[in-house]
Amino acid sequence: MRNFILFVRRFFNLILFLALEIVCIILIERTNTLQGNDIISSANTVSGIVYKKKSDVVYYFGLKKMNDSLLDENATLRKQIDQLHSVDTLRDSIVHKKISPTDSSIHIVKFADYLYRTARVINNSTNASDNYITINRGSKDGIGKNMAVISGTGVVGRVEHVSAHFASVLSVLSSKQKVSAKLKDGTNGFVVWDEKGPDILTMIDVPQQNIVKKGDSIFTNNYSLFFPPDVLIGTVLKTEVEKKKGLQIIYLRSSTNFHNLQYVYVIENKMAVEKKQVEDSSAKK
Amino acid sequence: MNVYLKNILRFCVIILLQVLILNKITLRWWNEPSGFPIFIPYVYPLFILLLPFETPVWALLIMGFFLGITVDTFMNTAGMHACATILIAYLRTNVLSALLPRNLSEYANQHPSIKSMGWMPFLVYSGFLIILHHSVFFTIELWNLSNFGMLLLKIAASAITSMLFVIVYLLLFTRQSTSRI
Repeated sequence: MRNFILFVRRFFNLILFLALEIVCIILIERTNTLQGNDIISSANTVSGIVYKKKSDVVYYFGLKKMNDSLLDENATLRKQIDQLHSVDTLRDSIVHKKISPTDSSIHIVKFADYLYRTARVINNSTNASDNYITINRGSKDGIGKNMAVISGTGVVGRVEHVSAHFASVLSVLSSKQKVSAKLKDGTNGFVVWDEKGPDILTMIDVPQQNIVKKGDSIFTNNYSLFFPPDVLIGTVLKTEVEKKKGLQIIYLRSSTNFHNLQYVYVIENKMAVEKKQVEDSSAKK
Repeated sequence: MNVYLKNILRFCVIILLQVLILNKITLRWWNEPSGFPIFIPYVYPLFILLLPFETPVWALLIMGFFLGITVDTFMNTAGMHACATILIAYLRTNVLSALLPRNLSEYANQHPSIKSMGWMPFLVYSGFLIILHHSVFFTIELWNLSNFGMLLLKIAASAITSMLFVIVYLLLFTRQSTSRI
């Protein structure tokens, strides 16, 4: 016993060092599973308040830019509403149908599956290898894990940690998540980020026969559990053919400007749980 | 000023500086489409580097852990910064005693600075520990050695930039006691 105490006293520093390192490694290990820990994240109350104070100060400098972006968004939304109202029978390509509340036709996907909530961005990073955004809404406002987050112009990310008043969002600029996407002609694929900078995303494994032009838009598809379909992800910057696999890689310029995000929409998919259940039950068999 | 108060104040200043200002500065040394690594300068290890000479190692370790976890909380990195900071907190005493001519206990009531150590030893001391910190941090962050060159480039570039910021910080926040004539 005495020897043991002597040993501990002699190597106390080394033991403390190793113990603390092990604590750190356990913490890192726990975040790598998708559950994560909510205490050491920017959804935590203390860091949330610091970020909120900072955002209150910086907020005023961006008001003009924000007004412009809201105006732009209103314009696009108005355009969409007009498209829904007018049925152009002369063109045989896409005919838009007005969705009326009395229509009980089962072919129409009711867009009320998705519930939109607004939130203000109080912290934002674009330069780590997994980027997070902190927003000023939490579980008290109905935000839950895994809800999709979009901005007025395009995809932003997915909620990862939630506290009572704050939530941190894992943005698309992360190696941890990929977004299922489709080209203009409907070909599906995945969009990932490989640290080529905060505005450049990559769409991988697109078959070579798909001809993609510079400037084409790429949208989310209906496969995702979280994102609603037809949200813009980005526009094509250039394409590259991988000779070994015979597939092409598409580089996109992301439609969201991650540098000056101020407001985002958090989207709750009310059908996500049911969809997941069905998919899981068929996967088990 | 009391040494405890001074260090608590410095802790707050360095954390706020790192989190609110430096985390917003994205640097890349040249603009290339294929992508040169982007990085941010980390100056917060400076808090550990500037603690008084006779701080015991256990206190250094605990403060390093606390500092790292605070930065982790703000940056959503859960333990990566803490891991790297604890390592330099543990090695700090050994590096100092290797660099300084006299025994550490003889430097009472002083803390490592350009004034107490001289330019060259201080730069070697801080440079060595910051490079160590950055290598550990980026290795943990990337966690694969598939593009080793990229990792080395990232470590080197960000360590040099951090050192520039450390020197700027020291020049700004060191009191010039000698009269300027």
